[in-house]
Amino acid sequence: MTTVRTPDPPLAPATVRPRRRDRPGRRRKSQPEAFAFLTPWLLGAVALTVGPMVVSLYLSFTDYDMFTAPDWVGFGNFTHMFTDDDRYLQSVKVTLIYVLVSVPLKLTVSLLVAMLLNTRRGANGFYRAAFYAPSLLGASVAAALVWRALFMGGGPVNEALAFFGWHTPSWVDDPQFSLASIVLLGVWQFGAPMVIFLAGLKQIPAELHEAAAIDGAGALRRFRHITLPMLSPVIFFNLVMEAIHAFQAFTPAFVIGGGRGGPADADLFYTLYLFEVGFQDFRMGYASAMAWVLLVVIAIVTAIVFRTAKLWVFYDDAEGMGERR
Amino acid sequence: MRRTGRGVAALAVVVPLLLTGVAACGSGSGTGDGDVTITFVWWGSDGRANLTKKAVELFQQKNPKIKVQTSFSAYAAYWEKLATQTAGGKPPDVLNVDTRYLAEYGGRGVLADLNQGAGKAVSLADVNPELAATGVYQGKRYAVPWAQNTPAMIYDPAAFTAAGADPAEGLTWQQYADATRKVSAASGFSARGTTDFGILDTTLEIWLRQQGKQFYTPAGKLGFAADDLRRYWQLASGFRDAKGASPADVTASYNTSPEQAPLGKKLTSSEFAYDNLLPAYQKANGKPLKVAPYPSDKAGDTGQYRRPSMFLAVSARSAQQEAAAKLVDFLVNDAEVGKIVGTDRGLAPNLKVRAQLAGSATGNDKTLYDFEAALEPKLGAAPPVPPKGAGAIQKLLQRTYEEVAFGRMSIDDAVNRFMTEAEKGLS
Repeated sequence: MTTVRTPDPPLAPATVRPRRRDRPGRRRKSQPEAFAFLTPWLLGAVALTVGPMVVSLYLSFTDYDMFTAPDWVGFGNFTHMFTDDDRYLQSVKVTLIYVLVSVPLKLTVSLLVAMLLNTRRGANGFYRAAFYAPSLLGASVAAALVWRALFMGGGPVNEALAFFGWHTPSWVDDPQFSLASIVLLGVWQFGAPMVIFLAGLKQIPAELHEAAAIDGAGALRRFRHITLPMLSPVIFFNLVMEAIHAFQAFTPAFVIGGGRGGPADADLFYTLYLFEVGFQDFRMGYASAMAWVLLVVIAIVTAIVFRTAKLWVFYDDAEGMGERR
Repeated sequence: MRRTGRGVAALAVVVPLLLTGVAACGSGSGTGDGDVTITFVWWGSDGRANLTKKAVELFQQKNPKIKVQTSFSAYAAYWEKLATQTAGGKPPDVLNVDTRYLAEYGGRGVLADLNQGAGKAVSLADVNPELAATGVYQGKRYAVPWAQNTPAMIYDPAAFTAAGADPAEGLTWQQYADATRKVSAASGFSARGTTDFGILDTTLEIWLRQQGKQFYTPAGKLGFAADDLRRYWQLASGFRDAKGASPADVTASYNTSPEQAPLGKKLTSSEFAYDNLLPAYQKANGKPLKVAPYPSDKAGDTGQYRRPSMFLAVSARSAQQEAAAKLVDFLVNDAEVGKIVGTDRGLAPNLKVRAQLAGSATGNDKTLYDFEAALEPKLGAAPPVPPKGAGAIQKLLQRTYEEVAFGRMSIDDAVNRFMTEAEKGLS
């Protein structure tokens, strides 16, 4: 399977690299030290990640109210989810809309801005920092609170639109607009993919563009036939990361939706419903089952993206542009 | 990878706690001669925290061997935190419980029976027996009321007087509807007469009581039929359609804290809440608000009742039950505490303390004492403890009514959805 690598700087000549048959020996020699250094991480991984995951897998087959011992219900939680829980289906719908709308939008915006900033003009450093800042806030509660204040009834967005004669209800409190306001918040935090796109753009040899320009290719043509293919591994990386991220969106929906999934469940994100079921309704077994379904869905979506990658991700073998295995 | 499912991440927090907590459970339970430390948690705001801390300091002065560690959070966050702590085997020694969650915690063996053992130190001799009874679930005393309040209407008297109505005198629902419409019109419909009450479970409960019905039966089922809910939502929708009640997006912004409720944000001129929230609403709204009984079509029967605004309970897993019970008894019965905490949570539960405080009360405290004193003969007994899942029913009511308010669903469909899901949730 293809793997994405950040472009390696040309480190050392290939001849210095250990030959394949040398590797097992080296590995064996370094084992004790390696494990000694790994111990703290291993302990953490087992106690805080693997252990709880095993327990949550067990709980997903039980009815567990957090206070009394779990009851084994087999696949009951999973069948209930898909056959008897309208709110579950609503949370799936909301999350899918969010992923399908916000991810392409965010990637498009971040690529466009990265291209604008990919020049050597003076103020670019400032703009790069300014555009990156919102994504540093990440999933912060503060950003979501500000967003709520901006888009609520009588808030600046409301008033500005009213000034131009478009009277909207409170965005965050109307089921028609509230998901859109959360999508906008997600797109606004485009800094992280933008920085990665910038790095990718820097790696495209200027000669390619120059040669194409001499041959008479316009800006759009060069974008389609040079920038996009050369950038495709980076696009692929950003797509995978942002999709995984979007599936797990929680804080903005929690804060903007008033901690309850928004008006008439319009902002009922998957993770939000999971949280509500587990920590407010005391149905931790069901919440565990939901978490595992989410994990499996993310794995499947990621696998599909990886499979299709062969069709559109272009790995150049030129020096410094990643490698093909 | 850090970005595994959030639920998994949450479990990663809960489960280790659970494992360590179970181990810690077996450890000693003695309250020897040495100093003991107990933990005490409640919900509320900073203002309430200051009052409560003063009361706790007084307790520590009088009981130098007991050290009390306190913490508090806002209502919704409080329950999430408490659930995690309890599941982790480290519940606080003394905690606040709401009537909506009493069955959830009491019925699952999390709370100590205060009729047994160390809990007997908590005296309820001077508490109204009907109020005291609200802490009993399935024959066990899981909690004692820390204060008494009653569901009531909070309103802007200037706006209603201008509309020719005096809610303090008690209005019929029709009079209230007419008044709210006039109040809305007077503000050019920017501030409506009332906050749409179709989302409020307490208001539905009071309205049902006025019809001689109840929200929950003692057996823990719904005490009303689809037709009752339909008539209630038709009543509320009538207010909204006439522009007397808040529009859907304002109603959807409703949050239980007075600061974020439409009346607190000056988007409406009256709202159904609890009488002890009057000062908080006043502070948020900025106008001199007043408190009034519920509108009712039967003179003298408003359906209101003596409500335990907040319970105190002791964890069944506490190793310091004696000290915990001592603190609970002190908070309920001490006259000084009554003076310190005032009417922030409602009236003092101890009737002797209450009578003493009523005489010297001033300002909002006096308003509340006078209000409940006038109502006292009409106040009924509190309804039975709501069943497990009552917290979720409250949210279900809000959600389904929002579908109606936004015009996305007919009242009939919303009623059907509510009844089906509520019966599922309570089974």
